[in-house]
Amino acid sequence: MSVKRVRWVAVFVAGLSWACNRGDGAGDAPSVALVLKTLNSPFFIELEAGARQAADSLGIELVVQAPDREIDVERQMQIIENLLQTGIDVLTLTPSGSREIVSAIAEANQAGVPVVIVDTRADAQALAEAEATIATFIGSDNVDGGRIAGRFVAEALGGQGRVAVVEGIPGHETGDSRLRGFREVIAEHPGISIVASQTANWERDQAFNVTQNMLQSHSDLQAIFAANDMMALGAVEAIAAAGRTGDVLVVGFDALDEARQAIREGRMAATIAQHPRDMGRLAIESAWSILQGDTVPAEQPVGIELVTE
Amino acid sequence: MRREFGTLAGLLVLCVVLWFATPHFLTTANLLNVVEQSTLIGIIAVGMTFVILTAGIDLSVGSIVALSGVAMGTAFRAGLPVFAAALTGLAVGLACGLANGALITLGRLPPFIATLGMMSIARGGALMLSDGRPISGYPATFREMATGDVMGVPAPVLLMLAIYGVAHFVLTRTTLGRYTYAIGGNEEAAELSGIGVRAYKSAVYGIAGLLSAVTALLLVARLDSAQPIAGIMYELDAIAAVVIGGTSLLGGSGSVIGTLIGALIMGVLRNGLNLLGVSSYLQQVAIGGVIIVAVLMDMTLRRRARLPTE
Repeated sequence: MSVKRVRWVAVFVAGLSWACNRGDGAGDAPSVALVLKTLNSPFFIELEAGARQAADSLGIELVVQAPDREIDVERQMQIIENLLQTGIDVLTLTPSGSREIVSAIAEANQAGVPVVIVDTRADAQALAEAEATIATFIGSDNVDGGRIAGRFVAEALGGQGRVAVVEGIPGHETGDSRLRGFREVIAEHPGISIVASQTANWERDQAFNVTQNMLQSHSDLQAIFAANDMMALGAVEAIAAAGRTGDVLVVGFDALDEARQAIREGRMAATIAQHPRDMGRLAIESAWSILQGDTVPAEQPVGIELVTE
Repeated sequence: MRREFGTLAGLLVLCVVLWFATPHFLTTANLLNVVEQSTLIGIIAVGMTFVILTAGIDLSVGSIVALSGVAMGTAFRAGLPVFAAALTGLAVGLACGLANGALITLGRLPPFIATLGMMSIARGGALMLSDGRPISGYPATFREMATGDVMGVPAPVLLMLAIYGVAHFVLTRTTLGRYTYAIGGNEEAAELSGIGVRAYKSAVYGIAGLLSAVTALLLVARLDSAQPIAGIMYELDAIAAVVIGGTSLLGGSGSVIGTLIGALIMGVLRNGLNLLGVSSYLQQVAIGGVIIVAVLMDMTLRRRARLPTE
């Protein structure tokens, strides 16, 4: 009877390996891996789209993989280890944990695979301690993005008011940088106080709850800054549920289509645009340059701007 | 023992298929990789096997991983020597497990409810203790636990194999093992025949908590960071490994050998899907499919053998 189970597993796996379009050993096309934090958020799906487009036009074979959950840095390390086994030529990576990911970067170094870091920085000190190196960093200056959001809020409130913050996962470099920039600007305005700051772990439904609670305890809240648009949209919905749309202005980050739509409809005030498609494209172009033996700049900033309409 | 052969055959077929499908699978480096990647879930699944053998369930193991890790990190940051800090982490894991046991045996709560509560308490505790932030920076001597090797075999693999060896011995050769099966087979009969069901059941949950803490230490050593958000959904991977390994959710039948094979099947599958470059979305579908197919086959097997089915 165990034969039957064996047969089932065999049929299943054979079907699976047939179903997937594998290309190992298929030719001389250079192979580049793009390992993302997740593939269930629009930002990273956009980033992937940009990378794919560039890979197609350069004739690069691109493998894209991501953990099921954005926070799962251990799983992301496993994916990198597995992909290194397949003889990839360059690793492009958006780290799920700035510090934790460093040992995986060191493993890539040992395998002689150059590492291109995208969107979220790897911790510089941890890199130095592990004697690990990266070829280039491509991303927006999130601190600057946070400052832009801070200036917008300060101006909209006329330098007076009470503000709340919805944070991303604590310890994530991107979120921490955005908040640092935001708080820096708000601190320059003594009339504005941050009355609440809580994490919603990057998630929309958690942001809905967090905002609901904030509105309960701070009825005079005038503005909310959320460290990404998914959370900003959750905040927008909570404000609408409380019947206070228009009273509390919401600023997000990422300029997702849905956020732009909310801004056009007046439910949300502003968002900060990053350009994930450009990041994906630049990552692959940098990988290509590295493979050609060209040097790439250590830092490649991608533009960041305020969107209010 | 016959039952594990079916699971083992499944693992071997999976390996053979991957061997044909990709030239990168059957290399020493990759196989060591797979086993090393299976260690975290593998170790938790040992405790889960004990629990499920008593017809219980433990949903709190993933959160206990986070709390034990953060407890260790906090102790280390407070100035304790790293090995004392590690012991603190182990003690916290054991305490959580024993608390589960007490709630289930003394409080008479269903294991599902007691450990669901603990899942939330331990996760919240980890976030409170760490203020939501990872605690990083441990000495190299401690990190050896995850990064070191003995004659090319990674240290975590040796640790996992040792734990499986001990667990197999306990289940097959000791009173605790015999009573674990007896409680799962028929708790009332076990009680009537004079077995101290409460004490043994509590011990089983204690073991699950302690092994979660061992996993926590490995994870901290590997990431050089104790994360309050670590271990989310580990409970489900561990339950999957146990169930794929042929242990009955009804209790009373199964083995850790089966669980080891189950954990390796999950590890090989994930590894193979990465090597093949299968889309991340399809991977989740595939893993779910394998769990269902494995249990479906197991149930058919049992029905034909006139054994109780899940």
